[in-house]
Amino acid sequence: MLIKLALKSLHDRKGSVILSIIAMTVSVFVLLGVEHVRHQTKQNFANTVSGVDLIVGARTSSLNLLLYSVFKIGSPSNNISWQSFKKVAENPQVKWAVPLSLGDSHKGYRVLGTTESYFLHYSYGKKHKLLFQQGQAFNNVFDVVLGYQIAVKLGYQLGDEILLAHGLGRTSFSMHADKPFTVVGILAPTGTPVDHTLHVSLQAIEAIHASGKNTYHASKPDKRSELKTDLPPQLSANYPSDSMPSSKSTLTPKSITAFMLGLNSKMSTFKIQREINNNRQEPLSAILPGVALSELWQIMGVLESTLFLVAILVFISASLGVSAMLLSAIKQRSREMYLLRVIGAPALFLFMLIELEALFITIISCALGVALLIASLFFAQTYLASYFSLQISLNIFSLNSLTLIMAMIAASALVATIPSVVSYLQSKRHYVVK
Amino acid sequence: MIIELAKLKFSYPEQADSLVLDIPSWSLPIGEHTLIHGSSGSGKSTLLNILNGLLSVNSGHIEVLGQRLNEMTSRQRDNFRANSIGYVFQQFNLIGYLNAIDNVQLANYFSKSSEKSSVTEEIKALLNSLNIPKKDWQQPVHKLSIGQQQRIAIARALINKPALLIADEPTSALDEENSADFMALLMSIVDSSQTTLLFVSHDISLSRYFTRVESLHDINQAGAVNAD
Repeated sequence: MLIKLALKSLHDRKGSVILSIIAMTVSVFVLLGVEHVRHQTKQNFANTVSGVDLIVGARTSSLNLLLYSVFKIGSPSNNISWQSFKKVAENPQVKWAVPLSLGDSHKGYRVLGTTESYFLHYSYGKKHKLLFQQGQAFNNVFDVVLGYQIAVKLGYQLGDEILLAHGLGRTSFSMHADKPFTVVGILAPTGTPVDHTLHVSLQAIEAIHASGKNTYHASKPDKRSELKTDLPPQLSANYPSDSMPSSKSTLTPKSITAFMLGLNSKMSTFKIQREINNNRQEPLSAILPGVALSELWQIMGVLESTLFLVAILVFISASLGVSAMLLSAIKQRSREMYLLRVIGAPALFLFMLIELEALFITIISCALGVALLIASLFFAQTYLASYFSLQISLNIFSLNSLTLIMAMIAASALVATIPSVVSYLQSKRHYVVK
Repeated sequence: MIIELAKLKFSYPEQADSLVLDIPSWSLPIGEHTLIHGSSGSGKSTLLNILNGLLSVNSGHIEVLGQRLNEMTSRQRDNFRANSIGYVFQQFNLIGYLNAIDNVQLANYFSKSSEKSSVTEEIKALLNSLNIPKKDWQQPVHKLSIGQQQRIAIARALINKPALLIADEPTSALDEENSADFMALLMSIVDSSQTTLLFVSHDISLSRYFTRVESLHDINQAGAVNAD
């Protein structure tokens, strides 16, 4: 009877109730939306790199190393020598080692010099490997493999020729104009910085920085210019001696920016890390990507908490709005309240009635908010993926969001005690001014 | 005696020193149909709210149906009111957004009387005997005429078979014809159910329906005429 009365009384005041529900729905939408996106971003973020046991660079902070090697943000403090890389790569505990060389750009996008093994070993998310949407890995010195977003935004296709610039500016003065690269592969979207990176071979980086004017034109069609793909730990003894016989000295990398390591056994991670950090020939830093990622996320946490706080405030204001609506309705319903008392309703019944009305408004709003969120995620999904590289799942029901919904219902019930208590007290006072 | 009052004194807490009611002694025997008339502001509604237990008196003896109201807890008074007293007002007798059946059922919900399973049948019988057309039973009552609403109010008041029916100016919102219909219906139904009726009105012309007629001025010694 209580439930029926609450529902019918809400139905009787459709206008103001619907407005309250809309306000509440928007706030539920914002709160759940922020929570969901926050959660997903965190996951996306933590998924940026996986399957890599250690990242090694010049001696620097772990955050800095992570930022420039994985996120391609900022500049490396220093390069490390090829000898150091070779030495670590030859360690029997090391299963694979992938060198990274940064410093060039194309229209503001970073160029990564690496080896073909990068495409074999770099993984993201739950150990997803990089996949080629079109084409294949670089085979020749002047081949380039594009991240998905670059191909989409700059409209490149297989076979297009592009120029790389020295430095990172969008309008660099020193274009490597005499050395156009050919697009041979485009990667599938990953939702990681890989989407915004151009991949070339280490030799290419050396080649475009070679000081000689006529270093490398003829070798492109040359069969001998094919790259060695089989790199560390089976680092060929003669690498890269037979790859470019004509310009051997020019194209051997003297230094690289960083490298990624995969180990034979996870157990040896800390041992290898310590060995690298204590390297005597050259000051090196080895970091565990997972640890560094979570350190980085802690910094982002401030922004995240601020967003969440704003969402909570929006919700509280909506709850107060509902309570204000109910409170003003109580004044108009004083006859009804009196009547209920006369036919024997205890004062508690009136308290419960108002509480229940608030609860119904909240529950309906939560249902609508959830539906709205799923619908908008459904429509925004492709947009978010292509413009922000955010992979947002449609499944918003996590333990977190369910707790949040429960908390919202509890909070609105709490706020609704204001009008409920008023109606309780009013009915206790018994007499009605006619 | 169904009501016994002695040395009853009452004032509203906001105006503690001006007595609204001061009744040395008054009683109502079982089965009697009594009209109390008094001009508006003479304290009629206050007296009725004391009798139904919504207001507590400052001092004095008050016994309704053998229960001493000022010795009961408020929860007990809620139950007592739901079970033993039927109430019809001048207007706003019903919850506007509920239909006739729901309104009557609501009154039954708060009482502990009668097995709830058969109550729907009882409600229908009662509405029938009060000449409410069947097609109007499922309508929200605010869509019905005032005359119909007042008749549904009788059904609402009588569903729990109360020993005492209190009517507070139930005809003053009705025109003469409807008023006569209402009175005839009310008297026949309280006669057949042997309910004691306490009827309060400013309209002395209704006296012909009652066995006993009293003026509140004679009962109430308090001079105050400004509270209602």
